[in-house]
Amino acid sequence: MSSKLVIELDNVYMTSDRGDEVFRDLNLKLEAGRTAVITGPAGSGKSSLAELLVGERFADDGSVAIFGEIIKPGRKRLIKKIRKKIGGIGGIFSLIPSFTVAENITFPLVLTAESKSVRRDRLLKMLTEFSLLKQASEFPHRLTRVENSLVQFARASIANQPLIIIDEPSAGLDRKTYQRIFEYLVKLSLSGRSMVILSSETPPGEIPNTDSYRLEQGTLV
Amino acid sequence: MTRISHLLREIARNLYRNPGTAFSSFLSLTLLFLLFDLFWVAAGTSDVFYRDLLSDIRMEVFLNEEVTDSLVPDMEFRVAQVQGVQAIERVTKEQAREELSRLVGTDLLAGYDTTNPLPRSFILSFAPEYLNSSVMESIEEEVAGLEGVSEVYYGHRWLRKAESARAIILRTGMVLGALILLTALVSSANNIRWMTRARAAGFQQMRLLGAGKLFVAFPFLVEGFLMGGISAAVGWALIYFGRQKIAFSQFEIIVPTTNEIVIFCCATALLGVISGYFGVRKLLK
Repeated sequence: MSSKLVIELDNVYMTSDRGDEVFRDLNLKLEAGRTAVITGPAGSGKSSLAELLVGERFADDGSVAIFGEIIKPGRKRLIKKIRKKIGGIGGIFSLIPSFTVAENITFPLVLTAESKSVRRDRLLKMLTEFSLLKQASEFPHRLTRVENSLVQFARASIANQPLIIIDEPSAGLDRKTYQRIFEYLVKLSLSGRSMVILSSETPPGEIPNTDSYRLEQGTLV
Repeated sequence: MTRISHLLREIARNLYRNPGTAFSSFLSLTLLFLLFDLFWVAAGTSDVFYRDLLSDIRMEVFLNEEVTDSLVPDMEFRVAQVQGVQAIERVTKEQAREELSRLVGTDLLAGYDTTNPLPRSFILSFAPEYLNSSVMESIEEEVAGLEGVSEVYYGHRWLRKAESARAIILRTGMVLGALILLTALVSSANNIRWMTRARAAGFQQMRLLGAGKLFVAFPFLVEGFLMGGISAAVGWALIYFGRQKIAFSQFEIIVPTTNEIVIFCCATALLGVISGYFGVRKLLK
């Protein structure tokens, strides 16, 4: 397994728009193929961390490197490139309301300009894998919360994105579906994907190649 | 190709998801451009009408009684040399008497056959580019300074008034035209802003997934382009249709050439792109 760093947060200090401290001396190293499970109570900064990782917000001090590239304001092209390699689920990530389920799932492939046949094949695979065949032409407002989460998982996986950020994976899911999603996460981890799981509760089982952290008072312990 | 087909779908989606906004935008733009087109036609028509009126302007140069008939051809030659003079018509005393009789309906000089007091004159006409008050005044001055000329007359007050009226019409037309185009820009940008606002959450997601600003904005820019171009074309189509239906014989209505209309439609399409940009600008910050 490659030891290349997918995420490297080095002494990150970040404040909120109101000036409150969000992160202090935040350090995280995630190697390719590994999963970081970060737990913390509501308001501990999990979603802010997700925003930090996709370049939606920036550190006031310290450095944030994703796939070896430093993310900072002004590097818009780089951020755009990095975002294409990240699959996001929950939290700041949601479905595009004006797109159908099929269009939502295949959108990452549109951005990477995959051919129609590739999009069709992968879409079919995802729809089958997540039991969404019947919902393919529905719009998000007509989906249940469970279906909505499943579509996000499908979208986050369709382009074989090397990094997947999951903010509250259990949100909106019943126990049975969450168990199914958890099994899928295990499968993703075994397939060599890197994942950051941000959750207020510990996962129901063991995910291989996982480093567990707790986000407390703006730092990881 | 994948991206292009996606963008085309997005343009169609913009229209069928917001048919009311799209239709009201199209109607208001068509109406505004129609108004602009009417001003353009009115300006063109009045300009031709004005030039027709000007082309009738003549300058009459009266000769002194001391000038003998043998000197008249020489004077005629000297007047013809004045810059701007296109043609000269010589009027003899007899012709002047006939004209006077024609004007008043009776020969006022009957019984004065040997002492016709009417002066001889030249009637000058000018090339179109000289038909303005400042040039005409300098011509008048030059002609009046020639030896043997007693008086020069032309409708200089009328010419000044006509020029002044034309300038007012032109200025008003330009201000109104600019206002109409500005209104079209603001109205179109505002409609597109409403459309983008309704879909802001979706755009945010697209950006989070790695879509660039141009990728998100492009459908709206194309929509602005189409709205601007098509509504301008429809405006002209309505004018052509109206022109065919309404018989008007008082004076010729001047419609811009096909090239001018095509350029105008391209310009309005560009205006649509600009308004599209203003519509999505805030969203893309």
